[in-house]
Amino acid sequence: MTTTPTAPSPAPAQTALAGHPHVTFARLVRSEQIKFWTVRSTVWVLGITAVVIVGLMALFAAVATNHADQIQDRAHLSVLALDPGVTFAQLAVAVLGVLTITGEYSTGMIRSSLSAAPRRTPVLWSKLLVLFVTILVVAAVAVVVALAVEWPILHARGFEMNLSDPQSQRVIVGSVLYLATIAALAYAFGALLRNSAAGLATVLGLLLVFENLFSIPWKPLSYIHPFLPSTAGGKIRMLDSQIAEQNASMHGPDFTAWQGYGVLVAWVALLLGLAIWRLKKRDA
Amino acid sequence: MIEAHGLTKRYGEKVAVDDITFTVHPGKVTGFLGPNGAGKSTTMRLIMGLDRPTHGAVTVNGHPYEKLTSPLTEVGALLEAKAVHTGRSARNHLRALAATHGIGDKRVNEVIEMTGLQQVAKKRVGGFSLGMGQRLGIAAALLGDPKTLILDEPVNGLDPEGVLWVRNLVKYLAGEGRTIFLSSHLMSEMALTADHLIVIGKGRIITDGPVDQVIAQATSTAVRVRSPQAARLAEILAGPGVLVDSPEPELLELHGVEAPAVGEAAAREGLVLHELTPVRGSLEEAYMSLTSESVEFHSAALPHAATSDPEVTR
Repeated sequence: MTTTPTAPSPAPAQTALAGHPHVTFARLVRSEQIKFWTVRSTVWVLGITAVVIVGLMALFAAVATNHADQIQDRAHLSVLALDPGVTFAQLAVAVLGVLTITGEYSTGMIRSSLSAAPRRTPVLWSKLLVLFVTILVVAAVAVVVALAVEWPILHARGFEMNLSDPQSQRVIVGSVLYLATIAALAYAFGALLRNSAAGLATVLGLLLVFENLFSIPWKPLSYIHPFLPSTAGGKIRMLDSQIAEQNASMHGPDFTAWQGYGVLVAWVALLLGLAIWRLKKRDA
Repeated sequence: MIEAHGLTKRYGEKVAVDDITFTVHPGKVTGFLGPNGAGKSTTMRLIMGLDRPTHGAVTVNGHPYEKLTSPLTEVGALLEAKAVHTGRSARNHLRALAATHGIGDKRVNEVIEMTGLQQVAKKRVGGFSLGMGQRLGIAAALLGDPKTLILDEPVNGLDPEGVLWVRNLVKYLAGEGRTIFLSSHLMSEMALTADHLIVIGKGRIITDGPVDQVIAQATSTAVRVRSPQAARLAEILAGPGVLVDSPEPELLELHGVEAPAVGEAAAREGLVLHELTPVRGSLEEAYMSLTSESVEFHSAALPHAATSDPEVTR
């Protein structure tokens, strides 16, 4: 550092702190908001998320409408085209979810955070809230923009965009909800493991490799498969026909879209419970 | 006020802090000394509620840290390890901490100015020098205008001007009736800053008392005499309990006898004195003799290294 600091004043100025400073949950949320938006990776990851959702939607719609004769479910093409973008974007939000919490451990920031809020668990909750709501908003905006970009592409090739259909609506809302919940799952892993490399390897390994291993045709695996977080949670962004097809390929319970999402939420709750236990009991 | 009762912290097999009891009083600067690995940083983390004690308890201003509803206004702390996200700017780091207590940007700017960080406040902390990092840590500690200040090695990496500023700051804050708990390895700095000392070694308190008393207990005062008739003087003074050393001709170092007695003896015999000086021990000597038994990571011995004197180690 070449800049020379200016001479520090010999004693603190005597301005009393305004109001009555103390910790509240709303203030912790405000603090986490500042933290969230003041590291570069946030803007990068959210930007990538939005670009991927919109870009892949447009690309998929353009390619699919060029092969119109092969499309069976013409009525639902508009929401089917969301799938590639959301599948890719889940990796980006998972990375953000992990780093939001492990970044504090790897840099030592967690000691400052917990010194300012020594009850500890509210820090975890406020951070999760900021992460979840932000991704919900960014994903919702990206999906709306993606649909707006898709419309002229479909229209030009004579396809209908049918957004009044409840199944399509559920897929659209489900895609947004799925992304925010996957980020929460990644966050919970990060909070439990407290290490960026371990957290990223676990979450990306789970999403990219591990759950796919269960699709090999061996009966014991196919009983467990329906309970895995993204297999179950992913149903929320599938059409009913796709859910039926997936359920037919596995043993065990046939979850509906919302039941499957409930399983994902249960995973998040379980991992957060373990993370809170560790946060409460162990040294920071 | 910081009060620790039977505080113990074990990491697996290793006992880092072993059943220590002490009180850090408001209105003065209390120095916390000890060799590397003695348990200083662990003790400070226990006070801050960051590590959970195995046994015992510690309170700050009468409450366990985790029960404080406004921790930043009760305790400001600069702990040994860096506790800042390297990707964030100094100013945003302080803003985020301040926000937890609803402390406004006005106070953030104030502590930035106070610690001389104006020119780097918008830069990312990852590029900060050690000294800049320390200034930021001190700024964070001062955010809530706290009643108690805990500073682990605050002058580490600071330039001389920064060292002087920290010294004046903590004395000023202590003068306002605040509690200051400060660790440092710089004995000369500690001697200038602290009013009271707690010395820890191998997880136990070795001594706890006012600075002068700690030095007096742990070092022996000597009398230095320069005289052309040094040999004669040594003969007169020799007696039980008196130790005479002559590091060079015409110079004596006397232990076990006070300066007035030497002067009177010389006068009786009509001896000429060129110098008669009581030599007080330094804090460094006191520290070395107090901790020689409990140094965990010994450096290779050098000739004339400080020798241990088990008699004064308690």
